[in-house]
Amino acid sequence: MSPPATERPDLGAAARAAGIVLWSAFLAAAVATMLCFAFLDPAALSNGEAPGWWTSRLRVYAVGFFFFWLVCLLAAGLSWYLGQPAGPRRSQ
Amino acid sequence: MNALPKPEVHEQPLYFRHQKVYPREVSGRYARLRTLSVWVLLGIFYLLPWLQWGDRQAVLFDLPARKFFILGLVFWPQDFIFLTWLLIIAALALFFFTAIGGRLWCGYACPQTVWTEAFLWMEQLAEGDRPARMKLDRAPWDARKLARKTLKQVLWVSFALWTGFTFVGFFTPIRALAGEIATLSMGGWEVFWVLFYGFATYGNAGYLREQVCKYMCPYARFQGAMFDRDTLVITYDTERGEPRGARRRGVEPLAKQGDCVDCTWCVQVCPTGIDIRDGLQIDCIACAACIDACDTVMDKVGSPRGLIRYTTQNALEHKPTRVLRPRVILYGALLTSLIGGFVAAVALRSPVSLDVLRDRNTMYRLTDDGNVDNVYTVRILNKSEHERVFVLEASGSSPLTLLPAGREYRVPEGAIYSLPIRVRRAAYDPESQAVLGPETITFTLRAADDADTSVDTEARFLAPIK
Repeated sequence: MSPPATERPDLGAAARAAGIVLWSAFLAAAVATMLCFAFLDPAALSNGEAPGWWTSRLRVYAVGFFFFWLVCLLAAGLSWYLGQPAGPRRSQ
Repeated sequence: MNALPKPEVHEQPLYFRHQKVYPREVSGRYARLRTLSVWVLLGIFYLLPWLQWGDRQAVLFDLPARKFFILGLVFWPQDFIFLTWLLIIAALALFFFTAIGGRLWCGYACPQTVWTEAFLWMEQLAEGDRPARMKLDRAPWDARKLARKTLKQVLWVSFALWTGFTFVGFFTPIRALAGEIATLSMGGWEVFWVLFYGFATYGNAGYLREQVCKYMCPYARFQGAMFDRDTLVITYDTERGEPRGARRRGVEPLAKQGDCVDCTWCVQVCPTGIDIRDGLQIDCIACAACIDACDTVMDKVGSPRGLIRYTTQNALEHKPTRVLRPRVILYGALLTSLIGGFVAAVALRSPVSLDVLRDRNTMYRLTDDGNVDNVYTVRILNKSEHERVFVLEASGSSPLTLLPAGREYRVPEGAIYSLPIRVRRAAYDPESQAVLGPETITFTLRAADDADTSVDTEARFLAPIK
């Protein structure tokens, strides 16, 4: 592997957009997880109807975080996508 | 009206090919201040989880048990309001200090700055100073380069893993965690979060560095809104410095020549790779490395210090600088009242809480002797630091009986006591025989040893309507 001299490779617009979307969704998901589990105790909700993976609080917290991240990713990704200027219409 | 001179606009794309920044090490007043800050903050971070309070960890955000321990205090999910309150105080404090001192947070206290500084020290230890590092990166791979890069990676990775371990130690008892590591019996999620946080530290402090401040940090984007002409900023004194140019030591500057000798030290030490002489820039994290560098050079050439210095826009324009401005007074007043309120609220926090949940399966039950029974689950939470004995009462529009009656509940410190309880009431008024119907009743929990400690909760009592 040859090292970059003084310059690093340009990641490209897509990778940078992905970075922004991932990162902002991560921040929002962290807040959502905190708020959600401050008010809901997974252990109190684990009656017979809970899914199979609902085994410990830590596990539910972690699954919850990734769930929120996914939903926030969807929102952030869609915002980015719709915020893009639409290209010129090709009528031909 | 005179035509205004066209403002000079430095246009640059938000994202451009990234040049690796090799910050040169610097010594001086502000570098010492930052070193002190790094040691204090990292010291707190790495040592705090090991501190004991009685027989438990002094600071532990015990997520599995849903309890936060901070020194002598125990916080429960019911105390969530305090966390929100604390976050608002933190945000307001950031506004307050930004309005007065500019980006003090970025330069001295931000975890990104602090860990980057620590990673830079390790880099310098392994690869040498700025010229050596640049040379090493350009050099072809040989044994020496491999050895130095390996040493750096070993230092970085071990430090990052230790950081991840410490981080998880705030959420799960660190001594037990250390024991699990020693016997290689850690839980899956603990391993995951140690690696996750370790990797985040390694990536952010080792590689991303100033790019986090430039592209990822929301605060860096909006901090400008808190600035005004009296905010402390790090500025190059253009009036005094220009026109810049080299000159020999001890030689008086030529007429019209400014104090800047164009040694470019201020650029070389900058962790974000900017030239402060181009004016205030959003990339500047106000670390003051350029001040130290310039002061050193000014001492050498025999000119007064402060060509680059902490100053305000007003001071630069020879206008008076005011510390007390409306925004500072407003932020300060809000901050003081919020902190005061927070301290009072935490101190006066009820040491006990009571939840009453109706049994969902049956609405009520009629007994043979003309009474109505409702069943509840009562949860008593003892937030104090010692065991307490409680008595429970219920009151409504007509006499209520608790079953079991007259019991005392002994609840250990920091424990939740959950019990089923039956409340019995007559279905009809004994005199008029009128239907009493459903009503809202009040449960009162009292500490047996302290009449002042009591808490009320309302619940619905259901009964037949006719």
